[in-house]
Amino acid sequence: MNRYSQLSVLFSAVAVMLLSSCVHNPDVPVSSTEVQNTPDIFPDYCDVTVPCNIAPLNFMLSSEVYSACVARVSTPGGEQRIYGKGVKVQIPEEEWHSMLEVSKGKSLRVEVWGEKDGLWLAFSPFEIHVAEEPIDEYLSYRLIEPSYIVYGYMEIDQRNLTSFEERQVFNNKVACDSPKGQCINCHSYQNYKTDNMMFHARGTAGGTIIVNDGKLKKVDLKRDYTISSGVYPAWHPTAKLIAFSTNKTAQVFHTVNPNKTEVFDSASDLILYDVETDCVSVICSDQELLEVYPTWSPDGKSLYYCKSVPLPEDMRDKDIRTTFQKLQYNLFRRSFDLATRSFGEEELVYDAAMANKSVSLPRVSPDGSYILFAEGQYGCFHIWHHDADIVCITLGEEMPLRLDLSKMNSAGFSDSYPSWSSNGHWIMVASRRDDGNYSRVYLSHFKNGKVGKAFLLPQEDPEHNIYRLKSYNRPEFMVEPVEISVNEFSKVFPK
Amino acid sequence: MITKSKIIDVLLYASLLIFIVFAVFILCINQDVLYTAHERSEFLIGAHFFYDLMAKPFGLFQYIGGWLSQFLYNPVVGSCMLLGIWGLIYIVGGKAFKLKGSATAVMLLPIAFLLTSLVDLGYWIYDFTVRGYWFSQSVAYLVMLLLLWVARCTPRRWHLVWYVIGLGLYPFFGWFAMLFVICLILTEKPTWSEIIGIVLLVFTAIIWRALLYSDVKMEEVVMAGLPRFVTPSDQNDILSIPFWLVGVVSILIVLAGKYLANKFVPVVCAIAGIIFTISFMYRDNNYTAEMRMMRSAEADKWGEVLDIFTESQKPTISMVMLKNLALMNEGGILDRSFKMGNDINGIYNPDSVHVSFLEIASPVTYYNYGMFNEGFRLNFECGEQTGFSPIYLKMLSRCAFANGELEVVDRFVKLLHGHPYYRDWQPAPVAENVKELHNSYKDELTGVENSDSYVINSISCWYDSDSKVASEQALFFSMLRCDSRRFWASLKHYINLHQGEEFPVHAQEAYIMYYDKSPEEKKMRLPVSQDIYDNYNKFWATLESLIKSGMSQKEIPDKMRDEFGGTYWYYNIFAKKIAR
Repeated sequence: MNRYSQLSVLFSAVAVMLLSSCVHNPDVPVSSTEVQNTPDIFPDYCDVTVPCNIAPLNFMLSSEVYSACVARVSTPGGEQRIYGKGVKVQIPEEEWHSMLEVSKGKSLRVEVWGEKDGLWLAFSPFEIHVAEEPIDEYLSYRLIEPSYIVYGYMEIDQRNLTSFEERQVFNNKVACDSPKGQCINCHSYQNYKTDNMMFHARGTAGGTIIVNDGKLKKVDLKRDYTISSGVYPAWHPTAKLIAFSTNKTAQVFHTVNPNKTEVFDSASDLILYDVETDCVSVICSDQELLEVYPTWSPDGKSLYYCKSVPLPEDMRDKDIRTTFQKLQYNLFRRSFDLATRSFGEEELVYDAAMANKSVSLPRVSPDGSYILFAEGQYGCFHIWHHDADIVCITLGEEMPLRLDLSKMNSAGFSDSYPSWSSNGHWIMVASRRDDGNYSRVYLSHFKNGKVGKAFLLPQEDPEHNIYRLKSYNRPEFMVEPVEISVNEFSKVFPK
Repeated sequence: MITKSKIIDVLLYASLLIFIVFAVFILCINQDVLYTAHERSEFLIGAHFFYDLMAKPFGLFQYIGGWLSQFLYNPVVGSCMLLGIWGLIYIVGGKAFKLKGSATAVMLLPIAFLLTSLVDLGYWIYDFTVRGYWFSQSVAYLVMLLLLWVARCTPRRWHLVWYVIGLGLYPFFGWFAMLFVICLILTEKPTWSEIIGIVLLVFTAIIWRALLYSDVKMEEVVMAGLPRFVTPSDQNDILSIPFWLVGVVSILIVLAGKYLANKFVPVVCAIAGIIFTISFMYRDNNYTAEMRMMRSAEADKWGEVLDIFTESQKPTISMVMLKNLALMNEGGILDRSFKMGNDINGIYNPDSVHVSFLEIASPVTYYNYGMFNEGFRLNFECGEQTGFSPIYLKMLSRCAFANGELEVVDRFVKLLHGHPYYRDWQPAPVAENVKELHNSYKDELTGVENSDSYVINSISCWYDSDSKVASEQALFFSMLRCDSRRFWASLKHYINLHQGEEFPVHAQEAYIMYYDKSPEEKKMRLPVSQDIYDNYNKFWATLESLIKSGMSQKEIPDKMRDEFGGTYWYYNIFAKKIAR
């Protein structure tokens, strides 16, 4: 055998090995012991309702308990497929989508076997209900360590929810000469579309990066009459207007309290920025109280926001470090006339403080019938508050009705940053339910006021959720991807 | 009769032997550095870490380097691996550059540069962000030489193909791909096709940035893989010199290979390599003592911490803090701490990078003082900047475990279990001392304090705790802070909680001094040993006489050190304090 034929044999052997490692359809165990409970899989996808276009719900059994896992997925039509490699079940995208397609409005039945100490256990089957309503194809989030003062590499990514594709929108190093990089945050889109979008870059050569009909610009939103540049944004659904809060924000750390971190404002107002004319006008600037987290109604005729409740008289002049636990926010709105760009009188929508609670991050449903917000006992930065949950109330009724979100919220861990998909059938939250520290994206089905069990954003490798040491910050739905490249974004920064 | 060829062989093998002995010696005396390297080197299991690295040019070798760095946990194993790679570099380099006889010894030079790059880091080891640093350059250079060897075995007309391969390999090889192409071009007189190769080379980085790395800065793509030593506040270009020299020497070998067949080349190369390494190597007793103390402290071997501290002359903040931590655990902090010394050798360490207690010893210190939230935060902030290496994963797990956050412990422990030497690692049970201190700690809000002084200021506030350990620490830290107001509050509490126990020596010393000098009125009357009282009077009398004799302020502490260096008064008056 000459040198070349030896090489070709070697390459063929390697190719065969690689191919055989890719394709793996195991058999169902011949004998097994039945267990009267559903499997303890991670992520927990038992009896969840999922969009008909979601990426495969790959899952695994604990490798500390089991040595192998096999799953048989059956469609309502009786088609069966078997998966499992090691303790993981990873379903090829094409096969998964074909199963979802035939199961719309019905359920997939999943049987799971786990091998423990050489014996196979057969768990009670569970179902994955496939909703007829699709989810928005894209999602974007900032990936950041759930951290404190120092920051390292930071990126805003977009994820295709129908697959596992994840692509960078921008990072904090590419446009900055300082080794420190920048802090990038608060990405926001007009009406779930990306031809009008924005995010902030703080630090060296910072500013607000705005995409206006696909054209890029960097602006400074600070004016003499505002307390800061724009912070938390909300695009008007139809006009080239962005409502921002302007904040003087501080971050402090608990020495013992499990909440670990507090973020609070010592001042905050609301402004309106006109993208076309670069004009900033003040919406409200109460000298005593704090207004924050603006969000528009889908018709653009109302602006909702959170506003603090006056502190008791004896606490007003005290350092906020001693009064922060008394600082509570209610939900308000003002009408908006697009023609005159004027706002109406302030109107209380939800009195959280009356129940000794505090609201933040409101979001109105696309049909205008509901509003979601995060609610904790105090403050407005609930991602650090273990007691924070998502609340949904009805709008347009004299007595707002509070929906049952018990299947979506976690017990004892922060649930925050809620948002609606563009069709109003999916709710997304950033939740720290997995370990109290890292935020992960959870999705829930919403139909006729009923909210389904929340499920974790699926990943190609289920362990990815464990090994990724980043939090998913500010998850936002999008109906299309951001097409502008990182390089193009970086060009708006001076060299 | 000794023939000429035998002399050549003897000189070659003697030079090689001397260099090998030297390299082994250098690695032996840097075992603590290599252990610390494994602790500070990030390698995470799971696809995302791989893809994160692969998203940047040279990422593959960083990944391989990171994986291999795990074996530095056992510095002997790690050293053998490094020596093995360098041995291969020597052999393959000889083939790639077509060196024969004495000329092969010229490969000692790049090996010396690679060896130097591991031992010249100094305090940068705590604060640099190059993944897989410890092995990536050696492995990449070896693979580059292999490629060059294979390329040079192929017919000349194939060289253009190799240039294209060099271009294609740029994402994996980074700057070594360029080095490969340059070396190959220079092996023969360039032809037209090779000039095209050179043109390709010029645009390689630009092409790849446009194709794959648009989210990376251009300058980082151009010299991908060449380690740069930059932090937000510091920069050191000298540490990059060994890598530049690897490139330059490789090119020179190609150009001047035929002139290297001289019997003295091995001697010259071995001596040059040895001199270079010795000149660039970072040596400082405190540097390695800190590493050893940290290793012992992490393993809760407090006796060892004290032994290492005793050997030092002028300790750093980290050493003083770890020593006091050890005394807390071993007992006798108020009898022994000032005798052992709390005088520090400056806030920052003597290097081109600002590294202090925060980066070196704060994770283990905060944990052991029961300050779990702070410990968690500091570990996070350090890990965020330099990577979640074993030291941070271990301390994050311990802090989270102590805080009862078992779910997050699982996350970090799972990551650690991917490490060949931490497969069974679990956070150690929380010591009773640590629990007691944690329970004494009241919740309050803190901002961005300097961590060196923060820990001291915080603990000195524990004077109203009912814990015996906390009251002892509060008293000690009030003394360390030279804060008479907190001293009296702490002392009162300490005496109440430690009734029937002996009044510790340093506490007596501080008591006499504050009773005599401090303006507070709330003083207590406590029995003090006559010896200490007499010594105190002698201290002031000596000081007065030295001042009267006209001795300078710099000379007086030196003069008084032998007699009074172990007293609280000496610390209070002369020592460089950690915090006030």
